[in-house]
Amino acid sequence: MNGEIWVLTENQDGQPTRTSRQMQSAAGSLAAEKNFKALAVKLKGEPYEAGRHLAALGQLIESRGKPRAILAAAGSSGLELMPRLAARLRSGYLGSVVDLRWEGDRLAARRPVYGGRAYEEVACVQTPALVTVRPGALSVTGEGEPLETVAVDAPPVPGPAVVGQQATAATGQDVSEAARVVAGGRGLGEPENFKLIEELADALGAAVGASRAVVDAGWRPHDEQVGKSGKTVCPELYIACGISGAIHHVLGMNTAKVVVAINNDPDALIFQNADFGLVGDALQVLPALTQALKGRD
Amino acid sequence: MGIKIAILVKQVPDHEAIIQLKSATELEIEDRWVCSFYDEIALEAALNIKKDHPDTELIALSAGGRRATDALRRAVAMGIDRVERVGDDLLDSAESLQVAAALAARLKELGPDLVLCGKLAGHDDQAAVGPMVAEFLGMPHASAAVELSVDPAGRKACAGRKVDGGVWTIESDLPLLVSAEKGLAEPHIPVVTRVMKAMKAKIENFPAPAGPEATLSRIGYLPPPSRPEVKMMSADFPDNVKELIGCLQEAGALS
Repeated sequence: MNGEIWVLTENQDGQPTRTSRQMQSAAGSLAAEKNFKALAVKLKGEPYEAGRHLAALGQLIESRGKPRAILAAAGSSGLELMPRLAARLRSGYLGSVVDLRWEGDRLAARRPVYGGRAYEEVACVQTPALVTVRPGALSVTGEGEPLETVAVDAPPVPGPAVVGQQATAATGQDVSEAARVVAGGRGLGEPENFKLIEELADALGAAVGASRAVVDAGWRPHDEQVGKSGKTVCPELYIACGISGAIHHVLGMNTAKVVVAINNDPDALIFQNADFGLVGDALQVLPALTQALKGRD
Repeated sequence: MGIKIAILVKQVPDHEAIIQLKSATELEIEDRWVCSFYDEIALEAALNIKKDHPDTELIALSAGGRRATDALRRAVAMGIDRVERVGDDLLDSAESLQVAAALAARLKELGPDLVLCGKLAGHDDQAAVGPMVAEFLGMPHASAAVELSVDPAGRKACAGRKVDGGVWTIESDLPLLVSAEKGLAEPHIPVVTRVMKAMKAKIENFPAPAGPEATLSRIGYLPPPSRPEVKMMSADFPDNVKELIGCLQEAGALS
Protein backbone atom coordinates (compact mmCIF):
# COMPACT_ATOMS: atom_id res chain seq x y z
CA MET A 1 0.00 0.00 0.00
CA ASN A 2 1.31 3.45 -0.86
CA GLY A 3 0.78 6.61 1.15
CA GLU A 4 -1.52 8.33 -1.32
CA ILE A 5 -5.05 9.65 -1.45
CA TRP A 6 -6.51 9.92 -4.93
CA VAL A 7 -9.25 12.28 -6.00
CA LEU A 8 -11.08 11.36 -9.21
CA THR A 9 -11.40 14.83 -10.64
CA GLU A 10 -14.17 15.77 -13.02
CA ASN A 11 -14.04 18.88 -15.14
CA GLN A 12 -16.76 21.05 -16.50
CA ASP A 13 -15.87 23.68 -19.10
CA GLY A 14 -12.20 22.97 -18.46
CA GLN A 15 -12.40 23.64 -14.73
CA PRO A 16 -12.72 21.11 -11.88
CA THR A 17 -16.33 20.95 -10.66
CA ARG A 18 -17.24 22.43 -7.28
CA THR A 19 -17.34 18.93 -5.75
CA SER A 20 -13.95 18.06 -7.26
CA ARG A 21 -12.43 21.20 -5.74
CA GLN A 22 -13.96 20.34 -2.37
CA MET A 23 -12.62 16.79 -2.56
CA GLN A 24 -9.17 18.04 -3.49
CA SER A 25 -9.15 20.40 -0.55
CA ALA A 26 -10.34 17.66 1.85
CA ALA A 27 -7.82 15.16 0.48
CA GLY A 28 -5.05 17.73 0.85
CA SER A 29 -5.90 18.26 4.54
CA LEU A 30 -6.31 14.54 5.25
CA ALA A 31 -2.99 13.77 3.56
CA ALA A 32 -1.16 16.56 5.39
CA GLU A 33 -2.25 15.17 8.77
CA LYS A 34 -0.62 11.81 8.06
CA ASN A 35 2.25 12.84 5.81
CA PHE A 36 0.51 11.17 2.90
CA LYS A 37 0.31 12.61 -0.56
CA ALA A 38 -2.92 13.71 -2.21
CA LEU A 39 -3.17 13.40 -5.98
CA ALA A 40 -5.78 14.52 -8.47
CA VAL A 41 -6.47 11.66 -10.87
CA LYS A 42 -7.90 12.43 -14.26
CA LEU A 43 -9.22 9.47 -16.24
CA LYS A 44 -8.87 10.34 -19.90
CA GLY A 45 -11.33 8.57 -22.12
CA GLU A 46 -14.55 9.94 -23.50
CA PRO A 47 -17.30 9.04 -23.20
CA TYR A 48 -17.28 7.68 -19.68
CA GLU A 49 -17.89 3.93 -19.63
CA ALA A 50 -17.69 1.95 -16.41
CA GLY A 51 -15.61 -0.82 -18.01
CA ARG A 52 -12.83 1.35 -19.42
CA HIS A 53 -12.61 3.62 -16.40
CA LEU A 54 -12.44 0.64 -14.05
CA ALA A 55 -9.70 -0.90 -16.18
CA ALA A 56 -7.75 2.38 -16.08
CA LEU A 57 -8.09 2.59 -12.30
CA GLY A 58 -6.99 -1.03 -12.05
CA GLN A 59 -3.86 -0.20 -14.02
CA LEU A 60 -3.12 2.82 -11.91
CA ILE A 61 -3.35 0.64 -8.79
CA GLU A 62 -1.07 -1.88 -10.47
CA SER A 63 1.58 0.72 -11.26
CA ARG A 64 1.46 2.91 -8.13
CA GLY A 65 0.27 0.41 -5.52
CA LYS A 66 -2.96 0.59 -3.58
CA PRO A 67 -3.70 4.06 -2.23
CA ARG A 68 -5.12 4.68 1.24
CA ALA A 69 -8.30 6.07 -0.25
CA ILE A 70 -9.94 7.04 -3.51
CA LEU A 71 -12.48 9.86 -3.50
CA ALA A 72 -15.05 10.39 -6.24
CA ALA A 73 -18.17 12.52 -6.52
CA ALA A 74 -21.39 10.62 -5.79
CA GLY A 75 -22.56 11.26 -9.35
CA SER A 76 -23.36 9.08 -12.31
CA SER A 77 -19.81 7.74 -12.69
CA GLY A 78 -18.57 7.65 -9.07
CA LEU A 79 -21.60 5.66 -7.94
CA GLU A 80 -20.80 3.03 -10.57
CA LEU A 81 -17.05 2.87 -10.06
CA MET A 82 -16.46 3.02 -6.31
CA PRO A 83 -18.80 0.23 -5.09
CA ARG A 84 -17.60 -1.99 -7.89
CA LEU A 85 -13.97 -1.36 -7.02
CA ALA A 86 -14.76 -2.06 -3.35
CA ALA A 87 -16.13 -5.47 -4.30
CA ARG A 88 -13.11 -6.15 -6.50
CA LEU A 89 -10.61 -5.23 -3.76
CA ARG A 90 -12.78 -6.52 -0.87
CA SER A 91 -12.29 -3.16 0.77
CA GLY A 92 -14.53 -0.61 2.41
CA TYR A 93 -17.05 1.51 0.54
CA LEU A 94 -18.10 4.80 2.12
CA GLY A 95 -21.00 6.09 0.05
CA SER A 96 -22.44 9.59 -0.30
CA VAL A 97 -20.42 10.99 2.57
CA VAL A 98 -20.62 14.58 3.81
CA ASP A 99 -17.50 14.67 5.98
CA LEU A 100 -14.20 12.80 6.25
CA ARG A 101 -11.67 12.55 9.08
CA TRP A 102 -9.10 10.20 10.53
CA GLU A 103 -10.17 7.94 13.37
CA GLY A 104 -6.72 6.76 14.45
CA ASP A 105 -5.24 5.31 11.29
CA ARG A 106 -8.61 4.59 9.73
CA LEU A 107 -10.46 6.87 7.41
CA ALA A 108 -13.86 7.67 8.91
CA ALA A 109 -16.83 9.25 7.22
CA ARG A 110 -20.07 10.85 8.22
CA ARG A 111 -22.98 10.01 5.96
CA PRO A 112 -26.71 10.53 5.99
CA VAL A 113 -28.83 7.40 6.45
CA TYR A 114 -32.58 6.89 6.04
CA GLY A 115 -32.74 9.79 3.63
CA GLY A 116 -31.04 12.17 6.02
CA ARG A 117 -33.24 11.43 9.03
CA ALA A 118 -30.09 10.39 10.89
CA TYR A 119 -26.35 10.47 10.27
CA GLU A 120 -23.96 7.60 10.68
CA GLU A 121 -20.24 7.66 11.37
CA VAL A 122 -18.33 4.73 9.95
CA ALA A 123 -14.65 3.86 9.83
CA CYS A 124 -13.11 1.90 7.02
CA VAL A 125 -11.20 -1.15 8.29
CA GLN A 126 -10.11 -2.57 4.93
CA THR A 127 -8.13 -0.24 2.69
CA PRO A 128 -8.20 1.37 0.27
CA ALA A 129 -11.31 3.23 1.36
CA LEU A 130 -13.47 3.78 -1.71
CA VAL A 131 -15.42 6.95 -1.10
CA THR A 132 -18.18 8.78 -2.92
CA VAL A 133 -18.79 12.31 -1.75
CA ARG A 134 -22.19 13.93 -1.83
CA PRO A 135 -22.01 16.76 -4.38
CA GLY A 136 -21.34 20.08 -2.70
CA ALA A 137 -21.29 18.65 0.82
CA LEU A 138 -17.68 18.94 1.94
CA SER A 139 -16.70 22.23 3.43
CA VAL A 140 -13.61 23.80 1.95
CA THR A 141 -11.14 25.09 4.49
CA GLY A 142 -9.06 27.58 2.54
CA GLU A 143 -8.04 27.05 -1.04
CA GLY A 144 -4.98 24.91 -0.28
CA GLU A 145 -2.25 24.06 -2.75
CA PRO A 146 -3.52 22.63 -6.03
CA LEU A 147 -2.88 18.90 -6.14
CA GLU A 148 -0.43 17.23 -8.46
CA THR A 149 -2.43 15.72 -11.30
CA VAL A 150 -1.94 12.25 -12.71
CA ALA A 151 -3.65 11.73 -16.05
CA VAL A 152 -4.45 8.15 -16.97
CA ASP A 153 -5.56 6.96 -20.37
CA ALA A 154 -8.73 4.92 -20.33
CA PRO A 155 -8.85 3.25 -23.75
CA PRO A 156 -12.07 1.47 -24.76
CA VAL A 157 -12.45 -2.12 -23.57
CA PRO A 158 -14.83 -4.83 -24.77
CA GLY A 159 -18.22 -4.68 -23.07
CA PRO A 160 -21.12 -2.26 -22.85
CA ALA A 161 -20.61 0.77 -25.06
CA VAL A 162 -22.19 4.18 -25.14
CA VAL A 163 -23.97 4.44 -28.49
CA GLY A 164 -25.89 7.64 -27.95
CA GLN A 165 -25.76 10.73 -25.77
CA GLN A 166 -28.87 12.79 -25.50
CA ALA A 167 -28.67 15.97 -23.48
CA THR A 168 -31.69 16.95 -21.47
CA ALA A 169 -33.12 20.26 -22.62
CA ALA A 170 -30.30 22.43 -21.33
CA THR A 171 -31.71 24.63 -18.63
CA GLY A 172 -28.41 25.79 -17.23
CA GLN A 173 -26.15 24.37 -14.58
CA ASP A 174 -26.58 21.06 -12.79
CA VAL A 175 -28.66 21.60 -9.67
CA SER A 176 -26.57 19.20 -7.54
CA GLU A 177 -23.28 20.95 -8.40
CA ALA A 178 -24.53 24.52 -8.13
CA ALA A 179 -23.45 26.80 -5.29
CA ARG A 180 -26.85 28.51 -5.41
CA VAL A 181 -30.26 27.06 -6.22
CA VAL A 182 -33.61 28.72 -6.79
CA ALA A 183 -36.39 26.12 -6.67
CA GLY A 184 -40.07 26.40 -7.47
CA GLY A 185 -43.16 24.37 -6.68
CA ARG A 186 -46.92 24.19 -7.19
CA GLY A 187 -47.36 27.53 -5.48
CA LEU A 188 -46.25 29.22 -8.68
CA GLY A 189 -49.66 28.38 -10.12
CA GLU A 190 -48.69 27.48 -13.66
CA PRO A 191 -45.64 26.30 -15.62
CA GLU A 192 -45.18 29.67 -17.38
CA ASN A 193 -44.50 31.33 -14.04
CA PHE A 194 -41.29 29.35 -13.76
CA LYS A 195 -39.71 32.07 -15.86
CA LEU A 196 -39.73 34.16 -12.65
CA ILE A 197 -37.66 31.40 -11.02
CA GLU A 198 -35.33 31.36 -14.02
CA GLU A 199 -34.89 35.13 -13.90
CA LEU A 200 -34.05 35.11 -10.20
CA ALA A 201 -31.67 32.19 -10.81
CA ASP A 202 -30.01 34.20 -13.58
CA ALA A 203 -29.58 37.23 -11.35
CA LEU A 204 -27.95 35.03 -8.69
CA GLY A 205 -25.93 32.80 -11.02
CA ALA A 206 -27.97 29.95 -9.56
CA ALA A 207 -29.32 26.67 -10.91
CA VAL A 208 -33.06 26.02 -11.17
CA GLY A 209 -34.61 23.37 -8.95
CA ALA A 210 -38.13 21.97 -8.80
CA SER A 211 -40.36 20.08 -6.40
CA ARG A 212 -41.65 16.60 -7.16
CA ALA A 213 -45.17 17.94 -7.70
CA VAL A 214 -44.17 20.14 -10.64
CA VAL A 215 -41.89 17.48 -12.14
CA ASP A 216 -44.66 14.87 -11.93
CA ALA A 217 -47.04 17.39 -13.49
CA GLY A 218 -44.62 17.75 -16.41
CA TRP A 219 -43.82 21.41 -15.80
CA ARG A 220 -40.11 20.78 -15.36
CA PRO A 221 -37.60 18.04 -16.28
CA HIS A 222 -36.71 15.35 -13.72
CA ASP A 223 -33.11 16.64 -13.86
CA GLU A 224 -34.22 19.61 -11.78
CA GLN A 225 -36.09 17.65 -9.13
CA VAL A 226 -34.82 18.17 -5.60
CA GLY A 227 -35.89 15.59 -3.05
CA LYS A 228 -35.98 11.94 -2.20
CA SER A 229 -36.62 10.62 -5.70
CA GLY A 230 -34.68 13.44 -7.30
CA LYS A 231 -31.40 15.07 -6.42
CA THR A 232 -29.87 15.88 -3.09
CA VAL A 233 -28.37 19.34 -3.09
CA CYS A 234 -25.95 21.12 -0.73
CA PRO A 235 -25.65 24.66 -2.09
CA GLU A 236 -24.50 27.73 -0.17
CA LEU A 237 -27.88 29.32 -0.81
CA TYR A 238 -31.23 27.63 -1.47
CA ILE A 239 -34.35 29.64 -2.22
CA ALA A 240 -37.61 27.67 -2.15
CA CYS A 241 -40.57 29.43 -3.76
CA GLY A 242 -44.09 28.08 -3.61
CA ILE A 243 -42.84 24.78 -2.19
CA SER A 244 -44.83 23.46 0.77
CA GLY A 245 -41.89 21.57 2.26
CA ALA A 246 -43.07 17.98 2.32
CA ILE A 247 -40.52 15.67 3.96
CA HIS A 248 -39.83 14.28 0.50
CA HIS A 249 -38.50 17.65 -0.60
CA VAL A 250 -36.81 18.60 2.65
CA LEU A 251 -34.67 15.43 2.62
CA GLY A 252 -33.16 16.66 -0.63
CA MET A 253 -32.19 20.15 0.55
CA ASN A 254 -31.82 20.22 4.33
CA THR A 255 -28.04 20.24 4.12
CA ALA A 256 -28.06 23.53 2.19
CA LYS A 257 -26.18 26.20 4.10
CA VAL A 258 -28.61 29.12 3.96
CA VAL A 259 -32.26 28.42 3.14
CA VAL A 260 -34.85 31.01 2.17
CA ALA A 261 -38.54 30.08 1.97
CA ILE A 262 -41.07 32.17 0.11
CA ASN A 263 -44.64 30.95 0.45
CA ASN A 264 -48.09 32.48 0.75
CA ASP A 265 -49.08 29.99 3.46
CA PRO A 266 -47.60 31.07 6.81
CA ASP A 267 -48.08 27.52 8.12
CA ALA A 268 -46.17 25.85 5.27
CA LEU A 269 -43.76 23.22 6.58
CA ILE A 270 -40.93 24.70 4.52
CA PHE A 271 -40.61 27.53 7.06
CA GLN A 272 -39.53 24.98 9.68
CA ASN A 273 -36.58 24.11 7.47
CA ALA A 274 -35.53 27.61 6.50
CA ASP A 275 -33.27 30.28 7.93
CA PHE A 276 -35.25 33.15 6.46
CA GLY A 277 -38.96 33.12 5.70
CA LEU A 278 -41.09 35.48 3.70
CA VAL A 279 -44.87 35.12 3.57
CA GLY A 280 -46.10 36.49 0.30
CA ASP A 281 -47.20 35.87 -3.25
CA ALA A 282 -44.27 34.42 -5.18
CA LEU A 283 -45.50 36.10 -8.36
CA GLN A 284 -45.09 39.48 -6.68
CA VAL A 285 -42.05 38.74 -4.52
CA LEU A 286 -39.88 37.05 -7.14
CA PRO A 287 -39.74 39.93 -9.67
CA ALA A 288 -39.10 42.41 -6.85
CA LEU A 289 -36.29 40.24 -5.49
CA THR A 290 -34.75 39.79 -8.95
CA GLN A 291 -34.95 43.52 -9.60
CA ALA A 292 -33.43 44.43 -6.26
CA LEU A 293 -30.56 41.96 -6.71
CA LYS A 294 -29.83 43.25 -10.20
CA GLY A 295 -29.82 46.82 -8.92
CA ARG A 296 -27.37 45.84 -6.19
CA ASP A 297 -24.36 45.57 -8.52
CA MET B 1 -35.87 -20.06 -25.36
CA GLY B 2 -36.70 -17.15 -23.17
CA ILE B 3 -34.35 -15.31 -20.91
CA LYS B 4 -34.15 -15.45 -17.14
CA ILE B 5 -34.40 -12.19 -15.19
CA ALA B 6 -33.52 -11.88 -11.52
CA ILE B 7 -34.81 -8.86 -9.61
CA LEU B 8 -33.21 -7.83 -6.30
CA VAL B 9 -35.56 -6.24 -3.79
CA LYS B 10 -35.33 -4.94 -0.26
CA GLN B 11 -37.75 -3.85 2.45
CA VAL B 12 -36.91 -0.39 3.80
CA PRO B 13 -38.57 2.04 6.24
CA ASP B 14 -41.37 4.03 4.65
CA HIS B 15 -40.11 7.52 3.79
CA GLU B 16 -42.42 8.98 6.42
CA ALA B 17 -41.39 6.55 9.17
CA ILE B 18 -40.01 8.34 12.21
CA ILE B 19 -36.36 7.60 12.83
CA GLN B 20 -34.76 8.75 16.06
CA LEU B 21 -31.57 8.22 17.96
CA LYS B 22 -32.10 5.82 20.83
CA SER B 23 -28.49 6.25 21.87
CA ALA B 24 -25.25 7.26 20.21
CA THR B 25 -25.00 3.76 18.78
CA GLU B 26 -28.61 2.78 18.19
CA LEU B 27 -31.48 4.04 16.06
CA GLU B 28 -35.14 3.63 16.78
CA ILE B 29 -37.06 3.03 13.56
CA GLU B 30 -40.83 3.29 13.45
CA ASP B 31 -42.32 -0.02 12.33
CA ARG B 32 -43.52 1.07 8.88
CA TRP B 33 -41.75 -0.81 6.16
CA VAL B 34 -42.26 -0.98 2.42
CA CYS B 35 -40.57 -2.47 -0.60
CA SER B 36 -38.02 0.12 -1.74
CA PHE B 37 -39.37 2.68 -4.24
CA TYR B 38 -36.72 1.95 -6.87
CA ASP B 39 -36.96 -1.82 -6.38
CA GLU B 40 -40.66 -1.66 -7.25
CA ILE B 41 -39.69 0.15 -10.44
CA ALA B 42 -37.27 -2.72 -11.19
CA LEU B 43 -40.06 -5.26 -10.57
CA GLU B 44 -42.39 -3.44 -12.95
CA ALA B 45 -39.66 -3.13 -15.57
CA ALA B 46 -39.19 -6.92 -15.40
CA LEU B 47 -42.94 -7.45 -15.78
CA ASN B 48 -42.91 -5.15 -18.82
CA ILE B 49 -40.18 -7.22 -20.47
CA LYS B 50 -42.23 -10.36 -19.83
CA LYS B 51 -45.23 -8.71 -21.50
CA ASP B 52 -43.16 -8.30 -24.67
CA HIS B 53 -41.44 -11.67 -24.32
CA PRO B 54 -43.89 -14.05 -22.58
CA ASP B 55 -41.39 -16.89 -22.24
CA THR B 56 -39.25 -14.78 -19.88
CA GLU B 57 -38.69 -16.28 -16.44
CA LEU B 58 -38.79 -13.88 -13.50
CA ILE B 59 -37.24 -14.56 -10.12
CA ALA B 60 -37.16 -12.02 -7.31
CA LEU B 61 -34.53 -12.31 -4.58
CA SER B 62 -34.19 -10.59 -1.27
CA ALA B 63 -31.50 -11.09 1.37
CA GLY B 64 -32.31 -11.22 5.07
CA GLY B 65 -34.96 -12.37 7.51
CA ARG B 66 -38.66 -11.63 7.98
CA ARG B 67 -38.50 -8.28 6.19
CA ALA B 68 -36.99 -9.88 3.12
CA THR B 69 -40.07 -12.12 3.11
CA ASP B 70 -42.31 -9.05 3.17
CA ALA B 71 -40.49 -7.50 0.20
CA LEU B 72 -40.86 -10.78 -1.70
CA ARG B 73 -44.60 -10.94 -0.95
CA ARG B 74 -44.89 -7.56 -2.61
CA ALA B 75 -43.07 -9.00 -5.64
CA VAL B 76 -45.50 -11.94 -5.76
CA ALA B 77 -48.49 -9.60 -5.44
CA MET B 78 -47.14 -7.58 -8.37
CA GLY B 79 -46.96 -10.75 -10.46
CA ILE B 80 -43.46 -12.22 -10.16
CA ASP B 81 -43.41 -15.98 -10.89
CA ARG B 82 -40.94 -17.10 -8.33
CA VAL B 83 -39.28 -15.61 -5.27
CA GLU B 84 -36.34 -16.63 -3.12
CA ARG B 85 -35.10 -15.39 0.21
CA VAL B 86 -31.34 -15.58 0.63
CA GLY B 87 -29.68 -15.99 4.01
CA ASP B 88 -31.24 -14.98 7.31
CA ASP B 89 -31.70 -11.99 9.61
CA LEU B 90 -27.94 -11.72 10.11
CA LEU B 91 -27.93 -10.10 6.69
CA ASP B 92 -30.42 -7.43 7.83
CA SER B 93 -27.63 -5.63 9.63
CA ALA B 94 -24.78 -6.70 7.35
CA GLU B 95 -22.90 -4.22 5.21
CA SER B 96 -23.54 -3.82 1.47
CA LEU B 97 -20.52 -5.94 0.49
CA GLN B 98 -21.74 -8.92 2.51
CA VAL B 99 -25.31 -8.61 1.25
CA ALA B 100 -24.02 -8.39 -2.32
CA ALA B 101 -21.82 -11.46 -1.82
CA ALA B 102 -24.76 -13.48 -0.48
CA LEU B 103 -27.02 -12.48 -3.37
CA ALA B 104 -24.26 -13.08 -5.90
CA ALA B 105 -23.65 -16.60 -4.57
CA ARG B 106 -27.27 -17.57 -5.23
CA LEU B 107 -27.36 -15.72 -8.55
CA LYS B 108 -24.36 -17.73 -9.73
CA GLU B 109 -26.46 -20.86 -9.30
CA LEU B 110 -29.44 -19.33 -11.06
CA GLY B 111 -27.47 -17.93 -14.01
CA PRO B 112 -29.76 -15.05 -14.95
CA ASP B 113 -29.39 -13.27 -18.30
CA LEU B 114 -30.43 -9.97 -16.77
CA VAL B 115 -30.31 -8.75 -13.17
CA LEU B 116 -32.49 -5.79 -12.22
CA CYS B 117 -32.44 -3.81 -8.98
CA GLY B 118 -33.33 -0.35 -7.71
CA LYS B 119 -30.66 2.33 -8.12
CA LEU B 120 -30.58 2.65 -4.33
CA ALA B 121 -32.49 1.18 -1.43
CA GLY B 122 -33.48 4.40 0.26
CA HIS B 123 -32.37 3.44 3.76
CA ASP B 124 -28.71 4.27 3.50
CA ASP B 125 -28.49 5.83 0.03
CA GLN B 126 -25.35 3.83 -0.67
CA ALA B 127 -26.41 2.59 -4.10
CA ALA B 128 -23.78 -0.09 -3.59
CA VAL B 129 -25.34 -3.55 -3.75
CA GLY B 130 -26.14 -3.51 -7.47
CA PRO B 131 -22.64 -2.66 -8.76
CA MET B 132 -21.10 -4.97 -6.13
CA VAL B 133 -23.28 -7.91 -7.21
CA ALA B 134 -22.28 -7.24 -10.82
CA GLU B 135 -18.61 -7.26 -9.84
CA PHE B 136 -18.95 -10.54 -7.92
CA LEU B 137 -20.67 -12.07 -10.95
CA GLY B 138 -18.11 -10.64 -13.37
CA MET B 139 -21.03 -9.05 -15.19
CA PRO B 140 -21.13 -5.53 -16.65
CA HIS B 141 -23.67 -3.15 -15.23
CA ALA B 142 -25.52 0.04 -16.08
CA SER B 143 -26.75 2.21 -13.22
CA ALA B 144 -29.77 4.48 -13.06
CA ALA B 145 -31.58 3.31 -16.20
CA VAL B 146 -34.65 5.19 -17.41
CA GLU B 147 -35.03 3.07 -20.54
CA LEU B 148 -34.44 -0.61 -21.15
CA SER B 149 -35.08 -2.94 -24.04
CA VAL B 150 -34.01 -6.53 -24.37
CA ASP B 151 -33.46 -8.64 -27.46
CA PRO B 152 -33.60 -12.22 -26.14
CA ALA B 153 -32.79 -13.84 -29.50
CA GLY B 154 -29.78 -11.60 -30.14
CA ARG B 155 -28.85 -11.79 -26.44
CA LYS B 156 -28.48 -8.05 -26.28
CA ALA B 157 -29.83 -5.25 -24.11
CA CYS B 158 -30.04 -1.54 -24.62
CA ALA B 159 -30.31 0.76 -21.60
CA GLY B 160 -30.78 4.52 -21.34
CA ARG B 161 -28.74 5.68 -18.35
CA LYS B 162 -29.73 8.85 -16.58
CA VAL B 163 -26.51 10.81 -16.20
CA ASP B 164 -25.91 14.38 -15.06
CA GLY B 165 -27.46 16.48 -17.77
CA GLY B 166 -28.86 13.82 -20.03
CA VAL B 167 -29.53 10.25 -20.99
CA TRP B 168 -26.83 8.02 -22.44
CA THR B 169 -27.76 4.97 -24.43
CA ILE B 170 -25.69 1.89 -23.68
CA GLU B 171 -25.62 -1.30 -25.69
CA SER B 172 -24.48 -4.50 -24.08
CA ASP B 173 -24.46 -8.22 -24.58
CA LEU B 174 -26.29 -10.25 -21.97
CA PRO B 175 -25.78 -10.97 -19.16
CA LEU B 176 -26.06 -7.48 -17.72
CA LEU B 177 -27.07 -5.91 -14.42
CA VAL B 178 -29.24 -2.80 -14.66
CA SER B 179 -30.32 -0.57 -11.79
CA ALA B 180 -33.61 1.27 -12.10
CA GLU B 181 -34.03 5.04 -11.94
CA LYS B 182 -37.37 6.83 -11.60
CA GLY B 183 -39.03 6.77 -15.01
CA LEU B 184 -37.97 3.26 -16.11
CA ALA B 185 -41.44 1.93 -15.31
CA GLU B 186 -44.52 2.96 -13.36
CA PRO B 187 -45.09 0.37 -10.61
CA HIS B 188 -48.74 -0.68 -10.45
CA ILE B 189 -50.51 -1.17 -7.16
CA PRO B 190 -51.53 -4.82 -6.95
CA VAL B 191 -55.21 -5.60 -6.40
CA VAL B 192 -56.26 -6.78 -2.96
CA THR B 193 -56.94 -10.37 -4.03
CA ARG B 194 -53.39 -10.69 -5.29
CA VAL B 195 -52.02 -9.17 -2.10
CA MET B 196 -54.06 -11.71 -0.08
CA LYS B 197 -52.82 -14.54 -2.24
CA ALA B 198 -49.25 -13.36 -1.91
CA MET B 199 -49.57 -13.56 1.88
CA LYS B 200 -49.89 -17.33 1.51
CA ALA B 201 -47.23 -17.82 -1.13
CA LYS B 202 -44.48 -20.25 -0.26
CA ILE B 203 -41.16 -18.47 -0.06
CA GLU B 204 -38.10 -20.64 -0.45
CA ASN B 205 -35.03 -19.87 1.60
CA PHE B 206 -31.47 -20.45 0.44
CA PRO B 207 -28.72 -20.24 3.05
CA ALA B 208 -25.94 -17.78 2.32
CA PRO B 209 -22.36 -19.06 2.30
CA ALA B 210 -19.81 -17.40 4.58
CA GLY B 211 -19.22 -13.99 3.09
CA PRO B 212 -16.31 -11.56 2.95
CA GLU B 213 -14.89 -10.06 6.13
CA ALA B 214 -16.41 -6.82 7.41
CA THR B 215 -14.77 -3.83 5.74
CA LEU B 216 -16.42 -1.12 7.82
CA SER B 217 -16.89 -0.46 11.50
CA ARG B 218 -19.69 1.78 12.74
CA ILE B 219 -18.61 4.46 15.17
CA GLY B 220 -22.10 5.70 15.96
CA TYR B 221 -25.11 7.75 14.96
CA LEU B 222 -25.73 11.45 15.07
CA PRO B 223 -28.91 13.48 14.74
CA PRO B 224 -29.30 15.38 11.47
CA PRO B 225 -27.84 18.89 11.60
CA SER B 226 -30.50 21.22 12.94
CA ARG B 227 -31.27 24.67 11.67
CA PRO B 228 -31.84 27.56 14.09
CA GLU B 229 -35.40 28.88 14.31
CA VAL B 230 -36.54 30.58 11.12
CA LYS B 231 -36.36 34.37 10.98
CA MET B 232 -39.55 35.67 9.41
CA MET B 233 -39.60 38.85 7.32
CA SER B 234 -42.26 41.49 7.93
CA ALA B 235 -45.55 41.23 6.04
CA ASP B 236 -45.05 44.56 4.25
CA PHE B 237 -44.27 44.25 0.58
CA PRO B 238 -41.90 45.44 -0.84
CA ASP B 239 -40.05 46.31 2.38
CA ASN B 240 -39.80 42.63 3.23
CA VAL B 241 -37.83 42.01 0.02
CA LYS B 242 -35.26 44.61 1.10
CA GLU B 243 -35.21 43.08 4.56
CA LEU B 244 -34.55 39.66 3.05
CA ILE B 245 -31.65 40.92 0.96
CA GLY B 246 -30.22 42.54 4.08
CA CYS B 247 -30.43 39.24 5.96
CA LEU B 248 -28.78 37.35 3.11
CA GLN B 249 -25.96 39.87 2.92
CA GLU B 250 -25.41 39.58 6.64
CA ALA B 251 -25.34 35.78 6.40
CA GLY B 252 -22.71 36.06 3.65
CA ALA B 253 -24.96 34.28 1.19
CA LEU B 254 -24.71 36.92 -1.54
CA SER B 255 -20.97 37.52 -1.52
